Amino acid sequence: MSAYKINLCVNGKDETLDVQGDETLLRALRRIGYVEVKLSCEGGDCGACAVLLDGVAVNACLMFAAQADGSEITTVRGIGTEDDLHPVQEQLIEKGGVQCGFCTPGIVVSAKVLLDENPEPTREDIQRGLAGNLCRCTGYKKIFEAVSAAARQVNEGDGS
Amino acid sequence: MSTRVVGQPHPIIDAVEKVSGATIFINDLELPGALTGLALRSPHPHARILNLDTSAAERLAGVAVVLSKNNTPNAPFGINHKDEAAFCREKARYVGDEVAAVAAADEETAREALSLIRVDYEVLPTVADPFAAQEPNAPLVHDSVTGNIANEFHIKRGEIDEAFDAADAAFADEFHTHLAHQAYIEPTGCAAQWHPGGKISVWGCLQSVFLIRTFMLGPAMGMSPDDFRVTQTKPGGAFGGKLDVKAALMAAMLSRAAEKPVRFMMSLEEDLIAMRPRMPVHISLESAWKRDGTLAGKRVRIVAENGAYSSLSPAIMSSIALRTDNLYKTPAAEIQGKLVYTNIIPSGQMRGFGNVQATYAWESHLDNVADSLGLDPAELRLKNYTEKGDVSLHGWKIASCAVADATRYVVEEMDWKAKRARGGKGRGVGLASCIHVSGNKGFSVELGPDDTDPSSGVVRVDEEGKVEIWSGESDLGQGATSVMAYIASEVMGIPVERFRVPPTDTGYMPFGMGAFASRITLIGGNAVKLAAEDARRNLLDAAAEFMEIPADELEIVEGEVRAKALPERKMSVGEVVRRAGSVIEGNGKWLAGGDVLDKEKYGNPSTTYSFSTHGAEVEVDMETGVVTILGICCGHDPGRVINRLGAEGQVEGGAVQGMSFAMMEGLAPLEGHLRGKNFHDYLIATSMDAPPIEHDFFESMDPYGPYGAKGLAEVAINPITAAICNAIYHATGGARIRTLPVSPERVLEAIEEARK
Repeated sequence: MSAYKINLCVNGKDETLDVQGDETLLRALRRIGYVEVKLSCEGGDCGACAVLLDGVAVNACLMFAAQADGSEITTVRGIGTEDDLHPVQEQLIEKGGVQCGFCTPGIVVSAKVLLDENPEPTREDIQRGLAGNLCRCTGYKKIFEAVSAAARQVNEGDGS
Repeated sequence: MSTRVVGQPHPIIDAVEKVSGATIFINDLELPGALTGLALRSPHPHARILNLDTSAAERLAGVAVVLSKNNTPNAPFGINHKDEAAFCREKARYVGDEVAAVAAADEETAREALSLIRVDYEVLPTVADPFAAQEPNAPLVHDSVTGNIANEFHIKRGEIDEAFDAADAAFADEFHTHLAHQAYIEPTGCAAQWHPGGKISVWGCLQSVFLIRTFMLGPAMGMSPDDFRVTQTKPGGAFGGKLDVKAALMAAMLSRAAEKPVRFMMSLEEDLIAMRPRMPVHISLESAWKRDGTLAGKRVRIVAENGAYSSLSPAIMSSIALRTDNLYKTPAAEIQGKLVYTNIIPSGQMRGFGNVQATYAWESHLDNVADSLGLDPAELRLKNYTEKGDVSLHGWKIASCAVADATRYVVEEMDWKAKRARGGKGRGVGLASCIHVSGNKGFSVELGPDDTDPSSGVVRVDEEGKVEIWSGESDLGQGATSVMAYIASEVMGIPVERFRVPPTDTGYMPFGMGAFASRITLIGGNAVKLAAEDARRNLLDAAAEFMEIPADELEIVEGEVRAKALPERKMSVGEVVRRAGSVIEGNGKWLAGGDVLDKEKYGNPSTTYSFSTHGAEVEVDMETGVVTILGICCGHDPGRVINRLGAEGQVEGGAVQGMSFAMMEGLAPLEGHLRGKNFHDYLIATSMDAPPIEHDFFESMDPYGPYGAKGLAEVAINPITAAICNAIYHATGGARIRTLPVSPERVLEAIEEARK
């Protein structure tokens, strides 16, 4: 398998790395330390590895790293960190939309994209927006409530 | 008792790190120089290993060790039967059974090494059906176990024959449940590091760091449990599946042999075929009744599918057999159970520990009975429920109970009477109830140190006024350690934000059994409460000296020690610790109540019991058999809610997980091969499947629980399957789902059967 040198901009930081042709974006990101991108099904089913690729939500397990050459990648930590949380993250905390936390990085990514595209989502819009993210702990109800509340927070202008 | 923290809604204490992706799960743990460990798993359900040649794999550059029966001692282990070994010896007994394992410099090399291991198998007939397995000429899964019977029992309690003879009516039913996986999103993994001198550190997503040393690592490796330091990494969900984790043994054995750190991460596919999914069971029920709907007695026959190795399965079968008899005033019962070995993945414990299956069967049967007797199913239950102060047929002492209130809530909230009047036209409502333990003494004997089912805690206040809680119990993501922080905050008068509860670690933490059997809030919570009271006393004693005010005239408010009479006379708790010159600590230990059951399974296995009632409203397409869950409504008796937000999360998550089990899940074994290999063929509920859920709590204020609390995790899942099936029965005018999961085909068949 051929090796490629690729350039990524991950959460605003330039990264140059050598990848094998069959290395997925998920495995490459984790290898250079972005372990907040979670590895589970590696088949595009669970959404735990969701990242933004040039602003579009993708499952990092479903593309090769070489295909992402030259792209801007945003992980959950590019959306918000402990000291500077995104409204989606704040509301997941407040509403109890996080239990074990393993699916949460992917949920944050999907929910942020949803709100960027649809500032006033209905319950059904949120269900559809998160349809690619499996959560086994919460039963989804509190996640829906958190995304609704985050939408209100963003719209009221007190979010980032 | 009025409380400041307890009962309020709080985010879990590690929510910020979780939403920002900062939590380190096992696969994120850096272990410098670690080798990659992988297992070679049997492709056959049942095969004799004629020859096993690992020499080519050993010669591959980058391979550190290859382990198999060829170079490891035969050290059988197992909780009830010593029927398992680290690696297959003479036979492989299920698809996924560990035949060998390698540790290599990287994953690619490890995979290549696996491909170089040569195994000559003699494929044997598969024992797939638990009934055929009992036939005289059936092949044997374990050559020494005749009839493939791992365990069996037959209990008669009360005047059972007379009860049936004198009954006004008797009814019979059969039910079958399926093999379903815990399906946590985080695949299981462990890492281990051998230390010169013979000690081994193990890390992993484990439910019990203490017990895995005693029931697996020690005996399987010929070492003392104390030789292992086991540290939990926060599990990405567990639901029972991460109690019995062979990945820990694989990592530890490879590390010992290679004398290097080893990471052993299972893929999701491996996890689905080689962990311990929920036990499938076949339940036959007969019940005897008086005309007015009073239960007179019941007979239960169970055939439970053990799979290839038995682990905790005998206890699960007991739980299935006896559990529902304690929810109702049951005057007499006869119970027979058989646990049967097969060449299918070993079954095990998943949230409910058999009670999901038992409750599905019995609570479905009850609605059939109600229909036959012409009684309302809610009224039938309300007439027969156990009550506070009762001692059940099997000896369970009911210390608190609000199941009737929970049922009345569901009836009210769902507009039950109006909706029940309109059944049979494709839309219906159903409900079901359950009882569950809060800890189980049986585990303490089978897995623990003795019969005390103990928990202990240490609460340490540092010079910054921050508090760390050490408990041997574990958080699986359900917020158990947050519950401990809220309890300690309540006791100590120190704000919740200052508390930290690290993942469990046998290296420095006090002993605890771990997270299972809904035991943590009651047993772990009481231990931490006692530790917090001790720490508070020690803080006040130290402050009394510095402030020259007697301790009993001091209180702690908002993290400050204040004189009750002169609130301006105060010191922060951090300052008290600094003046004292060392950390101020409190210790607590709590031993569960109840007894170890006798040989006839009589006794009171838990300190106290929790209850719930779930209701469901469904729409059934009578032409296609497709069922839509329109809504779920639940009432729970967790004694007392400690953290409202966390308790709500347990209920909502449990209900949807249970609905998912009922409607779509299943590993679907066919001649020993499993269909489910990823989340596109092992389906679990997505956001699109999540129905609206309404629920409330009915606080029975348990006399033994911390602030009156008892367990909640498992009552949150047990009844929903039967509630849905009962709603389908109502919607269709009598279509009874006797085999899970509920599929459109099965619904259509049941509609046909009902029309006959």
